[in-house]
Order: sequence, then C-alpha cells, then structure tokens
Amino acid sequence: MKIYFLSLGLLLLGALVSIVVKDSRKFKVCSIFSFLSTALMLLPAAAVMLTGVTLKQGFYMSPVLGEVNFVIDTLSAFFLIVISVMSFLGSIYANGYMKPYLEKGMNVSSHCFFFMMLIASMLMVVTVQNALFFLIVWEIMSLSSFFLVIFEGHKKEVISSGIKYLIYMHLSVIFIITAFVLLNIQSNSLDFSDFTSVLQGNTKFANLIFFLAFTGFGIKAGFVPFHNWLPDAHPAAPTHVSGIMSGVMIKTGIYGILRMVLLLGTPSKPVAFTFLIIAVISALYGVLYAITQHDIKRLLAYHSIENIGIIGIGIAIGMLGLAYGNPVVASLGFAGGILHILNHSIFKELLFFAAGSTYLKTHTRNIEALGGLIKHMPYTALMFIVGSVAICGLPPFNGFISEFLIYAGMIQGIPASELNLFLTLVFAIAALAMVGTMAILCFTKASGIMFLGNPRSKNAEDVKEDVTRVMIVPMGILAFLTFFIGLFPQYIIGFVLMPVSQYVKTAASYQIFGSIAELMGNISWCFFWFLIFILALFAVRAVMRRTSEIHSTWGCGYNKPNNHMQYTASSYANLFISTLKPLFKRVSHIKKPKELFPKEAYYELEIEDIEEAYIVKPLIRWDEKLLAKFERIQNGNIQQYILFGLIFLILAIIGMVYFGG
Amino acid sequence: MMIILLINILILLFVPFLMIGVIKKTKAFWAGRKGVSVWQPVWDFLRLIKKDSVISETTSWVFKFAPIAGFASVVFAAMFVPLAFGKSVINIPFAFVIFSYILGFGKFFSLISALDTGSSFEGMGASREACFSTIVEPAFFIGMASIAALSQNYTFDSFKLILQNAGGYGYLIIALAVITLFIMLLIEGCRVPVDDPTTHLELTMIHEVMILDNSGVDLGLITWGAAIKMFIFEALIANMIIPASLGLWETLALFLIIVFALAIVIGTVESSMARFRMTHVFEFIFVMSITALIILALVTYRIYGG
Repeated sequence: MKIYFLSLGLLLLGALVSIVVKDSRKFKVCSIFSFLSTALMLLPAAAVMLTGVTLKQGFYMSPVLGEVNFVIDTLSAFFLIVISVMSFLGSIYANGYMKPYLEKGMNVSSHCFFFMMLIASMLMVVTVQNALFFLIVWEIMSLSSFFLVIFEGHKKEVISSGIKYLIYMHLSVIFIITAFVLLNIQSNSLDFSDFTSVLQGNTKFANLIFFLAFTGFGIKAGFVPFHNWLPDAHPAAPTHVSGIMSGVMIKTGIYGILRMVLLLGTPSKPVAFTFLIIAVISALYGVLYAITQHDIKRLLAYHSIENIGIIGIGIAIGMLGLAYGNPVVASLGFAGGILHILNHSIFKELLFFAAGSTYLKTHTRNIEALGGLIKHMPYTALMFIVGSVAICGLPPFNGFISEFLIYAGMIQGIPASELNLFLTLVFAIAALAMVGTMAILCFTKASGIMFLGNPRSKNAEDVKEDVTRVMIVPMGILAFLTFFIGLFPQYIIGFVLMPVSQYVKTAASYQIFGSIAELMGNISWCFFWFLIFILALFAVRAVMRRTSEIHSTWGCGYNKPNNHMQYTASSYANLFISTLKPLFKRVSHIKKPKELFPKEAYYELEIEDIEEAYIVKPLIRWDEKLLAKFERIQNGNIQQYILFGLIFLILAIIGMVYFGG
Repeated sequence: MMIILLINILILLFVPFLMIGVIKKTKAFWAGRKGVSVWQPVWDFLRLIKKDSVISETTSWVFKFAPIAGFASVVFAAMFVPLAFGKSVINIPFAFVIFSYILGFGKFFSLISALDTGSSFEGMGASREACFSTIVEPAFFIGMASIAALSQNYTFDSFKLILQNAGGYGYLIIALAVITLFIMLLIEGCRVPVDDPTTHLELTMIHEVMILDNSGVDLGLITWGAAIKMFIFEALIANMIIPASLGLWETLALFLIIVFALAIVIGTVESSMARFRMTHVFEFIFVMSITALIILALVTYRIYGG
C-alpha cells in the first residue's frame, strides 16, 4: 500500500516539476514521472491480482471526513492497471503530438499540470472508499479534464464544448451527491463498506440509490440519453487527452456502477432489465450516429458510446445472472463486460492516436478531405486498420473475445424460465449482431476513405512523411496488445476473472471459471490455425511468382478519372442512412446549379443528433424563457437590491419563528 | 476419423466448383442452350491462377491482402459448420457466433479493398454489401439463437438433433430455417434476385463491382471463395434436412444430392426471374427477418405456451 501512495506522490511531484522546467522539457518530465508512477503502481495492483488479498489503509483526515479508507481490491486493481498503463502511453504520445503547439509558442504549463492531476485523481477515484473524499477526487478529475479539453481555448467552439462538458459533469455530480447523502442519512457513515448493510434487504431504497447512482455515473460514462457531451468534448480536446478521456476516464463511470452493484449485492430484476435496455439502446444509438459522422474524432466519440453500451450489456447480463441465480450467465456477463473495458481502452486509444497523427499532418478532421494516406503514412494507416478490425469485434483481435463472452452469456441465459427474459435476450443478441455489422460499415468507411484511394484535397496531397517515432511506438504497443489479447485470451482471462469472483461467490464458481478459461484456450487454438492458414496462403502466392502490371484503375473505359470521382464517405454511408431515414434529423444546405453555364453549386448534408435536437435544445429554450422572466429583478438599481436583501431577511426571520421551534 | 476429416475438407474445397457448374448448366437448360460443361468453373479457375495480373496504381497492400483474407475467412468459417457427414471439423459451443464473425473478417477486408482502388464504382458495391449485412446478420442471429434455445447444447452439430426430436413444431421450424438460410444464401452468394453475377453493368451490381480491379490469382481466389461461401450455406440447409438417424455414408450421399438439388433450384430461380430493383432488395431481405421472427415465435410458443 505504501508503494501505491509513493506512486501517487510521484504523479503530484511530476505535476509540480513540470511547471518549473523549460517548455520544451515539460512533456518529457510528464512521461518520466508517469513511467515511474506506472511501474510502481503495477506492483500493488499485480500483487492484489495474483493473490486476491485486499490491501487497505485508513487515515483519519478531519472531523468532517472522518476515517478515509484507501482500498485496493481486485476490481480496483484491474482499473489501476488500465488507468496507469493507458495514461502512460498517452503521455509518451503527447511528446510528439504537442510539438507543433510548442513551436507556435503556446503555453503548456497548465496543460501538463492538469494532465498529471487527471491521472492522479483517476487513480484515487478507483481506490477511495469514503463518500465525501470520493466526491472531492471525482471533482478534481472532472475539473482537470475540463482544463485539458479547453487547451485551445482561443477557439470559440472549443470553449463552448468545454462548458457543455462542465455542465454535464456537474449534472452527474448532483445525482451522485444525492445518492451519497441518502446513504449517509440511512447508515450514518461515509464509508462504502457501511453502505452494504442499509442497501441489502431494502429493495425499494436500493433501487432508488441505484437509479441515482446510475444516472450520475451514466452521465460520466456516456450512456444514452446522457451522452451528448461526448461528441463535442472529444473533438475539442488535444488527441492524447481525448484518447485518455475516451479510453480511460469515462470508464470511471463504469467503475462507479460496478462498485454500486457490488454494494447492492443481488440486484433486483427490474433494475437489471432497465440497465440492459439502456445499454442496448446506447450501443445501437452510438454506432448509428457514428456512421453519419465525417469528423473523425466525433465518429470515434460516438463509437465510445457504442462500446460503453456493449460494456453495459455485459454488466447487465451479469446482473441478470445474479438476479436469476444463474452463476454461469453472471460470470460470462461480468467477464465480458470487464474485459471489454480493457479492450475498449486499448483500441479506442489506438484509434484516437492514429486519427490524431493524421490530423497533425493534414490539419483537418474531415475524412472527406483525406484519402491515400497509406502511401506516405504507412505505419499510422496500419495502426488505424488494426484498431478498426479490433473495434468491429472481428477475430483474431481483442474486441472479439469480450463480445464473444457477452454473446455466450446471453445464449446461456436463453433457456430461461421466464418469457420476458427469453425475448429480451434474443433481441439483445440480434441488437449486438447488428451493432457489429454497423461497426463494420462505419470503420470500412473511416479507414477506407481516410487512408485508401487517392488524396481528395490538397491537405492530404501535401503529406510526405509519417509521424515521428515517439508517436508510432505507443501506437505499436497498443496494436500489439489488441493482437495479443485476441490471440491468447487464456492468459488475460485470469486477470478478468479475479474481479468477477467478487460478484459470483458460489461454490461452483471455480468450475465455471475453469470452463471459461478452457473455452478461451480452444478459441486461441482456432485463431492460431487461422493465422497459420493465412500465412500459408501468402507463402503459396509468393511461390507462384506471378508478376503484376501496374495500370490505372478500371473506369469502365473512361481513361481520365480524377480524385473527385472517387466514392466519398457521404455516398458510402448514404444507402444505409436513407434506409433508416426517420431516425435522423437531416439538415441539408443546397445551392442548385442555375443558368446555362452554372458557376457555383454545392450540396451539404448535416445530420443532427435527434436527442439533442428534440430533447436537449427544447429544454434549453424552455429554460431560457423561464429565466428571462427574472431579468426584471436584476435591473442594476442598488436601492432595489438592498430592498431584496431586507425582504429576504424578514422572510427568513418569520420562517425561523414559525418552523424553527 | 482422420479419413472423414480429410473427405470433409476435400468436399469443401472441390464440390463448390461443380455446384457452380450445375447452376450454369441449369440456366443453359432453361434458356434452351447446350451450355458449357459442368467442369468449366474448374478450367476457369486453373486458367486464372496461371495468369499474371494487372493491378491499379492507386492500390496498397490492402488490395493484395484482401483476397487472401477473404478466402481464408471463408474456408476457416466452414470448419465450424457441419459438412458432408453432419459433423463439423471444429465442434465448439457458440460456433455460430465465431462463424459469422470470421466471415466478417473477410468481409471487412474485401470492403476496404474496394475502396483501395479509388474507383467511382467499387465503393458503391462496398456500400451496398455493408448495408445489406446490417440487416442479414441480426436475422441470422435471431434464428440461430432461437434454435439454440431449444437445447442446452450450443454447437451447430446439435441443432438438428433437437429439432428432429421436437416433433411437429420441429419440422415447421426446420422448414422456416431452410427458407431463412436459402434467402441468406442468395444474399451472401450474390445471386439473383439480389445480385446478378453475370451482369456487367457496374451500377447495378453488388459483389461483382467490388472486384472489378482484381485479376489473375486474386480473382481466382475470390471466385473460389465465393463458391465455397455458397456451399457453406447449402451445407447448413442440408444439415437441417438430413435425418440424424442415417448412417455415415447415407448421410454423405444425401448431402451431395441436396447440394446439387439446391444448385438446380438456384439455377431455376435465376432463369425464372430478373434481379430486383435496389429498393426492392431491402424488402426481400426483410422477408428473411420475418421468417427468423416466426421461428422465434414458434420456439417461444413451444417453450412457454400450452
């Protein structure tokens, strides 16, 4: 446990040191301290994972906070590993990514400081077991990430999405505070371990608490309908920050939900069903809107919503398994969900880094303006394609393993005794299959239009070299991890089953875990042979020695194709979007060609988020109307202000007299 | 057992050629032509792999990798499907999930390889293929998951055992499953009425337009892979029909009869109707979703009703 605090201390020291040193060295300092802290953090986390022993250290902080316990159980240890490793890779990537900003002379002191603070606060969020201290570190996390998002604060849209993010985070905090206050009133304690006794046995209270906590943590995680901040905040933030936010930070919301489930004990059936339905809707909604997006970072942000949905499906299946007393389903569901947390953080960070590299070279996030980058940026392109295959859940990469576990959990749960469970599960399976194929549609679009074909604009044509090694190496590590987990899941599954064993505590759990590990071993063999087969085909092709002549692309007899005649991202997605017309709000800007020799014409299609267009915006308008009525009160007249104060005081005294007794 | 495995794999690799030949012969028969020999697809394939190829200057490694990935994924997906003897090579639970995700791996690369050429047509085919599979896959999963619900055993091999033990409902479900899989065969195999493998009008094609730029060995692998993919779905249909009580060699004989009978049916369908307009293709695919939902309804009634 001392090592844990040493590691945290190193991060905070790094934050301070980075303020002092020269601008050009700041990111190096961040990386070094982050590396040391990660190396140290892995020790206690690995110890907990291997032995299953819970580490605990309490401090008496103040009369208000009382005893603050830092606890590393297997669930916390899992998150500690994910957070520290992913943040460390992000800090390396930042070295290369921030170089042009440094050359422009932008001030990065506060950026480095808050970067280290964000890592430290995330590491504390997943270990602190005191409700009030939890809220404090949670707030530090939200605020430091807010300052990271508004790094390019001189741009108007960055500030506005930063503020949107801040508002959403505080909405989230309101719900969490309410949940904790209610718990505190009931249990008269701030420590998580005391909450269990008030939650278990009182189903109505537990449902209320779970609802509040789910809303609060769900806003952080980005479940539909609380997802709206994600597609705005990610494009605004610098890439290494969006990578960490999407890959790691939103998972603290999932951690909160997992922790609540652990405190709840056996969840009630309606809660588990509601959670499953919300998760399925999030997954479908996220991928549906990802298909419509042409800003690569917005597209990836919508995919975060989809993947949070998939994680949610896994956890919901686990909860259903617990609620129905089926340990096999529960283990498969939790294992799939928790493994998907790790997997998503790996491939999402990989994709964000690759997208950031193209942004750095082409200065545009619009994929319609890209194309042909694979020729001059071969490594970035390879990384993006690996990440795409992994996020679509295709074998032999890691996304498949977790989705497979979730499928297995659902299929195992199907021969259920209750009709509603049966039908829900069948449709959830169909939804997950549909999410998978839509992800294929989306990522063939993204990788095909960005990296393949010919350059579609001057920005893409001007790219002559790949990004520097300091950016490629973290991507390479992530790509290797996706591949390793996909090919050898049996070595990883043990780490995932440790936290699962906290949820599934039956006598048969060892047997169940054993059979899951065995299944993973079989799959590993299958994929091994699959790879051998692909390599063998390559070998045969090489032996055949057929030459190939280089010629221009077949254009149906047309000899002078140009780059604008290529298929575009909009046209690629259009068939799908027009099939599902009612689900989107389409805003098109058209200028039709006129006269005999038309000079100017354009067509632009914008797809607005229906949740934003039909729920959030009307709410805001309504709110503005309501608040406008109070404008009269604020009229700048000091005498009136004093009068208001006087009236308030009188009312307060009357209130005290009547109700104070 | 090794012999059975070997025969299974040989049948998987070589019968598809004959199957395509039979389809062509059937079409020739209905058109009143003499037609080419049923062995012609084999000669075509041998001719293709002898040729050198022409590739586009726009393309990258993706274009060279895609045919291999596609072929490997189809052959490997077939390992999870019960083939000639009613037994699959790799028999593990939840096989239909692995089956369709491995096919997805091949599909992913064939889609981006179409975009790799930078052509104005090939993306169109890719877009259509990707769009159709978003509707096909959920229907397939609903059907398979419903059938799996009748058992505690989730392997492909066990499906027909359960159904045939289920009595009258079982036969109805088998019939619906056959229809569902046959529609899926037409879609995934890119046959009329969804797609026409013989047309050369790029704007109306799906699969053929994606491979306009492939030639030589690559084209050979792609056509072979497409034939095997059709064969896999025929194998799935055959295994729904063949009674579980038959002996090993009778199963093989009946399997081959069904495969060629289906080839004749496909040829007849292709001769008797034109391909649908693109907007109507969706309606056709939704028929598959509906049959899958009827399977679900029947299974639900069987488990919970009465």
